[in-house]
Amino acid sequence: MKVSVGTIESDCHGFNSIADISSKTKDAWIDSIELDLSSCSFFEANMAAPLYVVIARLRDKLNDVSITNMPSVINTILRKNKFLSIFNQSDLTDINQTTLPFKIFKLNAGDQFNDYLDIYMKGKGIPSMSDALTKRFKQSLFEIFLNASIHSQSESGIFVCGQFYPKKHRIDFTIADAGVGILENVQNYLRNPNIDSCDAIKWAMVEGHTTKTKNHPGGLGLKLIKDFIQINGGKFQVVSRFGYYELSANREFLQKMNNDFTGTCINIEINTEDNNSYYLKSELKSEDIF
Amino acid sequence: MSNQIKIKVADLIGSPLCISAEDGQKVFDKVEHLVKTGKQVTVSFENVSMLISLFLNVAIGQLYNSFNEETVRAQLKVEGLSSDDMELLKRVVDNAKKYYSNKKSYDDAWQEEDQNEE
Repeated sequence: MKVSVGTIESDCHGFNSIADISSKTKDAWIDSIELDLSSCSFFEANMAAPLYVVIARLRDKLNDVSITNMPSVINTILRKNKFLSIFNQSDLTDINQTTLPFKIFKLNAGDQFNDYLDIYMKGKGIPSMSDALTKRFKQSLFEIFLNASIHSQSESGIFVCGQFYPKKHRIDFTIADAGVGILENVQNYLRNPNIDSCDAIKWAMVEGHTTKTKNHPGGLGLKLIKDFIQINGGKFQVVSRFGYYELSANREFLQKMNNDFTGTCINIEINTEDNNSYYLKSELKSEDIF
Repeated sequence: MSNQIKIKVADLIGSPLCISAEDGQKVFDKVEHLVKTGKQVTVSFENVSMLISLFLNVAIGQLYNSFNEETVRAQLKVEGLSSDDMELLKRVVDNAKKYYSNKKSYDDAWQEEDQNEE
């Protein structure tokens, strides 16, 4: 079975195109799936993470997945970020060191994720950001990673990938999983099967809302990231099933996609030239907190 | 045993990363026990390099299920947190107070909404 893959950028169209592969192959079982990239003129490297959601699901159903007719420029990008190693293609040295390579983590591998960030956030091509920005960015990535650990039930792990775009002064970092998705978790938690994917994302974005409590409060992670991105002037995307959410400097919107993205993907894009301090001028004391 | 006890989080969980619910639970279990027995507890975050809301929800937020606000305020202190992490903790604490005071009210509203299909 041959599926054509067009240009993939970090936007609603890009995610919908990846979900389209999933829709076209949803019944495939012990089949041969060829992803034909002949009409793909650009592939943003961080989008390898959501693409792998589709590939992981296909492989889970014992399909043999291959990528064909890949333009050489895209082949270079995806070998530099080590994505094509999952198709047994050799890696290329990332001379500019602007890549945070594609990697699959087990759900409980928070420590290894920390090591990964320590190694690759210090690449020579990654700009030196203010301490406050670096900390807030890393904190946000951990919030997302741990969210995926707790909520996804993904049997194939958590897929991460990042890319620095020097001309735009932006780093995109994407964390995806092929788990149950936000929709199923929210429907089950609220015992309401009529909630749709966009409603589920909207619900999950509200401060204090969480589907896994085990008697402790939660539901702050996404709200904290949203607040951070608003100050930073970056971009924040949450994609799960048919739901697409985007927050950027100009707008915030939720949109229903045409195709079903069978997992969850969160992308954070930060403005690396941000010098905000990220804390209030008046310092909190211990007694102010409780 | 002194009435003042310091819990060094990084030593207790064996890591500078305060990121998981399991490690948060470890801290909560110790703090809860000590507060129950009337001790003054200082939770020290010295040498912690990463702290996220999930960990704090479990380690500290949960205390508001076991104790009232006055007890927590009287017996618990934190130290070794940067200004921005103090703000994070404040949000966690405010969220926890709200959570335990009206646990079901948000959810009930949503259970009656929308009849959409995909």
